[in-house]
This record gives sequence, structure tokens and C-alpha cells, in this order.
Amino acid sequence: MHAVRERLADNACSILTHAAVEVRLSEVAALRDAPGPATAPALPKRFLRYCDEQTVVGMAAVLRAIDRLPAPRPSFERWGVLSASCQPGRIMGAAAVIGTRKSGSQGVSPHLVPQCSLHSQASAVSVALSMHGPNFGIGGGPEAFDEGLLAACSMVSQPHWLILTAWDSEPSLDADGSPITDPVCRGLAVALLPGEVEDAEATIAVEPYRGDDDVASCGDFPSMAARIWSLAKSLSGDAAEARATLPLRHGFTLDLQRSDARSPLALEAA
Amino acid sequence: MIRQAERAMFDGGDTRPREPVVITGIGAVTPLGNSFDAIATNLLAGVSGVRRIEVPFFGPEHVQFAAPVDSIPSPEGFESARLSECSRFEQICGAAVAAAVADGRLAGIDPRRIGIVAGIGAEQLKAWETDYAAGGTRVLGPGIDSPIVHRIATLVGIDGPAATVGAACASSGYAIAMARRWLQLGWVDACIAGGCDVITPSAIAAFHNLRALSRRSDDPARASRPFDRDRDGFVMGEGGAFVVLERADDAAARGAMSRAEVAGVGMSSDACHMVTPSTDSLHASRAMEAAMSDAAIDPDEVDYVNAHAAGTSVGDAAESAAIRMALGGRADRVPVSSTKSMSGHLVSGAAAFEAVACLAAMDRSAVPPTVNLDNPDEACRLDHVALVARRHPVRVALSNSFGFGGANLCLALRAA
Repeated sequence: MHAVRERLADNACSILTHAAVEVRLSEVAALRDAPGPATAPALPKRFLRYCDEQTVVGMAAVLRAIDRLPAPRPSFERWGVLSASCQPGRIMGAAAVIGTRKSGSQGVSPHLVPQCSLHSQASAVSVALSMHGPNFGIGGGPEAFDEGLLAACSMVSQPHWLILTAWDSEPSLDADGSPITDPVCRGLAVALLPGEVEDAEATIAVEPYRGDDDVASCGDFPSMAARIWSLAKSLSGDAAEARATLPLRHGFTLDLQRSDARSPLALEAA
Repeated sequence: MIRQAERAMFDGGDTRPREPVVITGIGAVTPLGNSFDAIATNLLAGVSGVRRIEVPFFGPEHVQFAAPVDSIPSPEGFESARLSECSRFEQICGAAVAAAVADGRLAGIDPRRIGIVAGIGAEQLKAWETDYAAGGTRVLGPGIDSPIVHRIATLVGIDGPAATVGAACASSGYAIAMARRWLQLGWVDACIAGGCDVITPSAIAAFHNLRALSRRSDDPARASRPFDRDRDGFVMGEGGAFVVLERADDAAARGAMSRAEVAGVGMSSDACHMVTPSTDSLHASRAMEAAMSDAAIDPDEVDYVNAHAAGTSVGDAAESAAIRMALGGRADRVPVSSTKSMSGHLVSGAAAFEAVACLAAMDRSAVPPTVNLDNPDEACRLDHVALVARRHPVRVALSNSFGFGGANLCLALRAA
């Protein structure tokens, strides 16, 4: 029963395109109004107005990734969206928590649940870009990087986006809930196709725990923001090796093979 | 080449053969009881868990009723002192997971080959709120807390992969879908999957301000009335439900009792609005069709549909149309009910709880009712099981869950 099965082919995904974005909290407001390049798909007007900051950054990454694709771009109508974020919704959440105490139910924004929950980022991308595949959020904590990659490589029955976002350090707020620090939010969007596909930028696959006793279950890993940037560099060619194995929690690993035919990619400070 | 690969997936979907995955354990802490037998009995008796509650900081003009958990059992083997240090969220979730693990008798399986996937949609918000109410300042940052699923895994001795999934009201259904997939990929030998939610003042306020909640304060037990022409929103519930999933051959090899097979899963998105479901039921019906296709069943084999139907005006009508679209003429003859009429809406835990309700229907050969369905809405024409349970053998059940952000999910469950 405990025999580990050879199923790697089942979870290999090809990366069609990707892009990474990093912005300071103070810069998110500008990104709400203009999240993508002029040549990227347009969003419904003021769509990001009430979105969580991490949603804005994730959306910006998706739009940049789409913008990198040569014309004619594929239809994303049947694509799914998975978003893995670490502690989404802190700023609006703080306003709600403080507002409830001060003003009862009147102190809570109706946007709290739809915009600041774990699913919100994936749903925003799905709604804004008319993607009808499954949409859901993953993680919510510092392990979201691992959880997102496991989810992305396991839910491979159709093309989907994986979006990873996190603050380099969580925003600090004053007693009224206003930010008093200006941390950096990093986001990476990766468009994944099932299996190995010619002309893809790279392929990834998760290698499960294989019964080694020496497993780093939840040992020390860099911060999620650092791991997002490291993965982005591995994909973009900033890393020297075209092949990389990234450790994940619970003894899992992510194998990444960059294609030689890959085009220059975007690692962008918006 | 890329376009060819995309098209192949769109047209054919994933048709590779998959090993059957079965449910071998159930754990639940809900407004309708904390054991499978209690829940099944209460559901079939039409018992409502909805009652008046006190909401701190709210005036009498606001919603003051819900379906709360009355008592949280202390799981066997847990130190009660340790459990009492946990938040209510963690206590409910931990008790439900521990009960599932005990029911599944997983002691013989390598803990590193047991995974857990929890559908929890807004854990941080609720943790911050609870902390702030107790005088804490965690919401003001900059700390990061490890999610409940990881803490619960440690409590019950699970050392395999763990994940939290958020798909709003469909969260725990997506958790079951992911756990099933991990098993099919051979990543784990058993996986606990389900979800949990708790009622907090901010959550009630947020849903109230969205005008999503019923305002029938004068008669709480009759407030949750899915499909009824006088419905005016949903009633919040709390609780958690988790199941143990295993590959069927592994379960048989170790002599575990299989309660049902998770035979199919269908998922789609409306891609329409962050809150309101699409009035075009195409994508919700696609989720149902995909679940039936995945389970290799056709509409004639469906014996029961546990509807998402929360009691909202738009949502119930859209779901009725989706059921008709997916089942065609069979929709006139398949019993449909919404158990949210009794349990309230468990939000993140709803899909898993309603999967348990389907197992109850299979176990008792009876379909639980939609209570308070006095006058079925013309826009919701279906074969409703209104007011009282109906004797009816259930071998195949579909369980719908639709969430904010247009997340649609359907589970196809088949009796073992």
C-alpha cells in the first residue's frame, strides 16, 4: 500500500508564458489604474478599485505575461486560475476589524468577503479576463508557495494560470489601520499547459516524497517573497542553469527545465 | 503546437483512466450534530439548527440569528488543556479532523504518506478579528501565522502534504477535489479533506451589508428557505466536515469500510461577477456535466441532487436552471433538496457537509428535505423534496457548490 507510484508524467506542465512584478505598497494605487501594458488585454473600468493589494500585483503579472505572447494570442476562455498568496487582505481586514468595534456592522465594507478572501485574487483574474476554468485560492500563509505549486501540478486536467504573491515583509499598520511601512509586494504569474508542449518556455513537475527518512517537513525555507523571486529568476534565465530542482515542504521537490528556445522574459519592477 | 495542445484539452478533457477514490472516514462538528448518525437523523427529521444569537457590537436592527455549533467535542487523545488554548475556529476544525482520522482508523499508515487539504476561505481575517476582540494587535502586523491546516496536521499526527484551499462557498468541495487528485497521482496513501467556518461579527456584517443574508429576524428557524418564493437571503451557519479519502484498492487491502466513491468532480467559473452568480446557467451546468462525465454516469443514473441553493433570489433560480440544463428531462424526476434550510450556510465548510448529507441519503435510503419550502418559486421548478424527507434509494448523488467569484463545483458520489 505504501509503494510510491511512478506518475511524474501526470503532473508535468509546460509554461507558455510568465511574468513577475514587484512594487512597493505606496505604488499599488497607481497600478490599480493602469495594471498592464497598453497592449495587454483591457480590464473592465475601475475593476481593481476595491481589490486587495496582492490581487492588483497578481493581475499586473498576468497582464504582463499575456502581453509577452506573440500575436495572435490564444484564447484563455477555458483556462483556470489558481492563486497562492500569503495573508491576503490585511489592510481592508484591519479596517473591518477596527470598524466593527467602532461602528458595529456599519463599519464593515461589503467588499471585505469578495475582495479579501483566499479566493479573491483568482476570482478577480477569472472575472476580469473571462476565464471559465476552475478558479480558487491556495495557501494563505507562509507555506503558500509550496501549496500553490503542488496544486498547480496536481490540477492539470486543463490549462491554468498559477499566480504567486507575497509581501517581502507584512505591512505594519497604526491603530487606525493605516500603513506605516512601505513593503514590497512580489508577484509571479505562470501560464501552464498540461504535459510537455513544444515551444514552451519551460516545463515543471512535482516529485513527491519517496520515503526518505531525511525529510525537511517544515524546516527553514526562505520567505515566500524571496522564493517567488528565485523561481522567477530561474524561469527568466537570470539563473545560470537551465535545469533546477527546488525543494518544497514535506519532502516534495519541483523540477524545472528551461527551454533553450525560450525568448527573453520579463522580470519587472513596475 | 501549443494551440494544438490547448485545443485537445478543451475538446476532450482529461480522459486518462483514474483509480477510484473512496471515502473511508467522516468527522463533523455542525449545528446538526457532531457524528454521522446524529447528522443523518436530524437531516431526515427536518431539524433546524437556526436560532437567535447575540452578536457583539451590533444593534437590534441587524441580523441576530444563525446556525451555530452548540458544543465542540473534545477529541479522543487530545489534551483538553491544549485544545482550550486554541481558537474556536481551530477547536471546531481540529475536532472534525480528529473525528475523521479516528473514523478512518488510519493508525497503520505512514504519517508522511497522509495528506490534508482544508477548504477555509478567510482564515486570517477571522484570526485577526478574534485576536483583536481579545485585546491583541496581530491585525496591525507584521507577523505571519501558520495556517490552521498545518497546526491541525501536527495535532493529529499527519506529516504529509498539507494545503488550504479557498473557493468561497465551494472551498471544501475544491479541497475534496484536490485530495482526490493527490491520491490519483500517488502523492499520498490517504488524505483528509473538507472544510470549516465560524461565525464572527465581521463576517455577519459583511454578508449583511452585501444584502446576502435573510433579515427574517422575527422567525429565525423559518428564515432559511431555499427555492421558496419568499426567500430573502441565506442564514449563516458554522461548523466543519472532513472525510478520509483513499484509493479503493488500498482501502480494500487494509479492510477499511468504504462509505462511497468520489466518482466525479466538475469545476468551472462563471467569470461574470465577484459576488453575483451569472443568470446564464451555462457554466454552472458545465460543472455538473463534467462531474457526471468524470464519473462515467448519465443523468438517468442520478438519484439525488443536493443543491447549493442558499436561499438567495438570483442564486436559487440560476441553479435551478443549471440543474435542468445538466439533467435535461430527467430534472423532473430527480429529487432535489437544499440542506442549508436546516444547517444554515456553512460557507467554507458547506460543500463537505453537504457531501456528508449525500452519504446520509445513501445510508438511510431517504432524501433529506428542504424545510420551509412552503411555496416553491416558479423560477425554481424541480422535483423538490419539500418539508419532509422522502423514502428513496440513493445510489448516485450530485452535490453542487457555488461560490463568490463564480466558482462552481459539483461532486458526483456513488454508493460503495
